[in-house]
Amino acid sequence: MREQEQETTRRDALAWLLRAGAGAVVASFAAKAAQRQTADRTVWQIDPRACIQCGRCETECVLHPSAVKCVHGYAMCGYCKLCFGYFKSDAARLDEAAENQICPTGAISRVFIEDPYFEYHIDESLCTGCGLCVKGCTHFGNGSLYLQIRHDRCTNCNACRIAEKCPAQAISRVPASRPYLLKESL
Amino acid sequence: MSVAVWIPVATVAASRFPQPQFDSGHTVPQTVHPPFEALVPAWADVLILALALAVTVWLAHRVRSRRWLLVFSLVCLAWFGFIRQGCICPVGAVQNVAVAAWSGGGLPWSVAALFALPLLTALLFGRVFCGAVCPLGALQDLFIITPQRVPRSVDAVLRLVPPAVLAVGLVYAINGAGYLICRTDPFVGLFRRSAPMPMFLTGAAVLLVGMVVARPYCRYFCPYGVLLEWCSRLAWRPFAITAHECINCRLCVGTCPVDAITVPRAAPGDTARRGLFRRFVLMLMLAPLVVAGCVAAGWLLGAQAARAHPSVIVAERLAQTPESEMDLHPEIEAFKRTGRTPEQAAAEAAVTVARFRRGCAWAGAFVGVIMALRLLGMTRLQRRTLHEADRERCIVCGRCFAACPKNVQRSTSNAQLSNQKGDT
Ligand code: SF4
Ligand code: SF4
Ligand code: SF4
Ligand code: SF4
Repeated sequence: MREQEQETTRRDALAWLLRAGAGAVVASFAAKAAQRQTADRTVWQIDPRACIQCGRCETECVLHPSAVKCVHGYAMCGYCKLCFGYFKSDAARLDEAAENQICPTGAISRVFIEDPYFEYHIDESLCTGCGLCVKGCTHFGNGSLYLQIRHDRCTNCNACRIAEKCPAQAISRVPASRPYLLKESL
Repeated sequence: MSVAVWIPVATVAASRFPQPQFDSGHTVPQTVHPPFEALVPAWADVLILALALAVTVWLAHRVRSRRWLLVFSLVCLAWFGFIRQGCICPVGAVQNVAVAAWSGGGLPWSVAALFALPLLTALLFGRVFCGAVCPLGALQDLFIITPQRVPRSVDAVLRLVPPAVLAVGLVYAINGAGYLICRTDPFVGLFRRSAPMPMFLTGAAVLLVGMVVARPYCRYFCPYGVLLEWCSRLAWRPFAITAHECINCRLCVGTCPVDAITVPRAAPGDTARRGLFRRFVLMLMLAPLVVAGCVAAGWLLGAQAARAHPSVIVAERLAQTPESEMDLHPEIEAFKRTGRTPEQAAAEAAVTVARFRRGCAWAGAFVGVIMALRLLGMTRLQRRTLHEADRERCIVCGRCFAACPKNVQRSTSNAQLSNQKGDT
C-alpha cells in the first residue's frame, strides 16, 4: 500500500514536470516570437509604386466586391479634359457615354471646373478595384489614380489573399496607425 | 472623331500635366481615407479568448452539460466567427509565431497570447478550446447528424494529415510562400458571408461530409489540433465522461461522434505478450525505414511545394512562355520592371527550390517520427479497466455526459429534489 502511494506521488511529480516543461516550451516559443514586439497591429496595404494593375485585386480578395478601391490623389491630378483614366483609348467621343469610359462600372464621374479642366471623382460603392483606370492614368497621365486597400471594408485577413497572388508583390503589412501608402506623399 | 490609340510615354508616372491654377478659385479636394478601426482593441481580443476558455472549462468540468456547452459554442461561433470574422485565430497564429520566432521579426504580443492560451489550457484541462471556443469546430459540430465510425486503418492514415499540414504550412510561412494554413481554412468565407465561389464550395463540402464523418476538419486536417493533442495528452485534469466512478456499463461508447471513448482491455496473456513483443521489435526495425521514407518523400515533394513561392513562379513563367506571349503575363511584366535578367531569376528560383526541399525533408522527418511512434504505440502492453475519453481525440463536446447512468442518476435526483421543493 505504502509503495503504491509512493508510486503515485512519484508519477504525479513526473506528470507535473512534463506539464511544466510543455508549458514552458509553449510560453517560451510565444515569448521568443513576441520578443521584438511590433508596437502596433498591422494591416495590409498596396504600394502604388510597385503595383502594375494586373487586375487580381478585383478577383482575389476574399470579399466580393473587393476591399481594394481606386483612390484619387487630387493633388497629383492634371485635371485633363482628355483623361486617360476616364476615357477608353479608342473612345469615339470625349463625352460621358458609357461606351467611351474605361470604367466598366461607371464608378468615375467628372465635374466641369473651368475650361478646359475637369475634376474626376471615384464612387467607391461602384468601384470593383479592377485597376483599368489606374493603368490608363499611370501609363499616360500623371498617375494620380491608384489602388489602395480600403480599411472600412477590408477584414484584415491574417494572410491577405491578394498579397499571395500579387505578381508584383506590391502588398505588405503596414502599421495600423498609418494604414495607407499615399502616392502623393511617397 | 476617334482619339488615336495612345503610345506609351514611359512606365514611370510623372507630372506630365502640371496641375492648373484655377481662375475660378477652385480648391483641390482632399481624398478621405477611412482609418483602420479594430472591432475591439487587441487586449480585449485576448481577454475575450481567455474568458471563453474559462467558461468552457467550467461548463465541461463543473456544470458538465452538453446543452450548455452547445449554447456556449453558439455564442463563440457568433462572436469569433460571424462578428469577429475569423482573423486572427489561434490556428492561423501558429504561422505568425513560427515566422517571428524563425526570422526574428516583430509580432504583436496579442498574437503570441492567442497562440499560447488554448495550448496552456489544454495542458491543464484538455482540448476545451475545441469543445466550444473554436468557431471552426462549433460550426462543424452543428452539422453532425449520423456520425459513422471511421475504420481504424483509414483513421490511422488520415490522422497523419494534420502533422503534415502543420509542418508544410510552417515551411511555406517561414520561406515566404504565404500562409497555407489560412488558405486552407474552409470556413472563413462563410463567416464573412463573402468569398470566391471555390472557397464557399469547399466549406459547404466539408460541412456535408461532416454530417457522417463528425468534425472532419478538426480530426483530419487542423494543424493546431496536433499541438492541442500533445498538450491534452499531458493534461492535469483531462476531460472525464463521468465525475463519478465508471461502472463499465458501456452506454457511453456509441455516443461519441469522434470515436474517442476507449473501452476496457484485459492485460494480454503470455502468448499475446510474446506476439506483441515480436511486433514491437519488428516496428523498431521498421521505424528508421519509415522515417527515411518520409524524409525522401518530403525532399521529392519539396520541389512541387516550392512552386507556390513567387521567385519560382516567375522563373517558371519566364522559362515556359514563348517570346510572343511575354506581354500577357503580369508576373513577367512585374519582373521586367525589376531590371533583373532571366538567369538571375532562375538562380534565385533554384535557391528557393533547394530551401523548400530541405524544409519539406524536415517536415517529412516530423511526420515520419510521428508515424513511427504511433506504430510503436500500437504494440504497447495496455491494460485498461474503465471507459475513458481518449485524451488526444476527445474534443470535449459533452455528448457522452447524458449517456452515463452515473451522471443521469445525479441529475434526476437533483431534478426530483427541486420538484419536491416546488411542490411544498
Ligand atoms: S494584385 Fe498587385 S499588381 Fe495587381 S492590381 Fe493588385 S496591387 Fe496591383
Ligand atoms: S476602372 Fe476599375 S479601378 Fe477604376 S474606378 Fe472603375 S472599377 Fe474602380
Ligand atoms: S486582407 Fe483580406 S479583405 Fe483585405 S484586401 Fe486582402 S484579401 Fe481582401
Ligand atoms: S466529450 Fe469527448 S468522449 Fe465525450 S462524446 Fe464528446 S468527443 Fe466523445
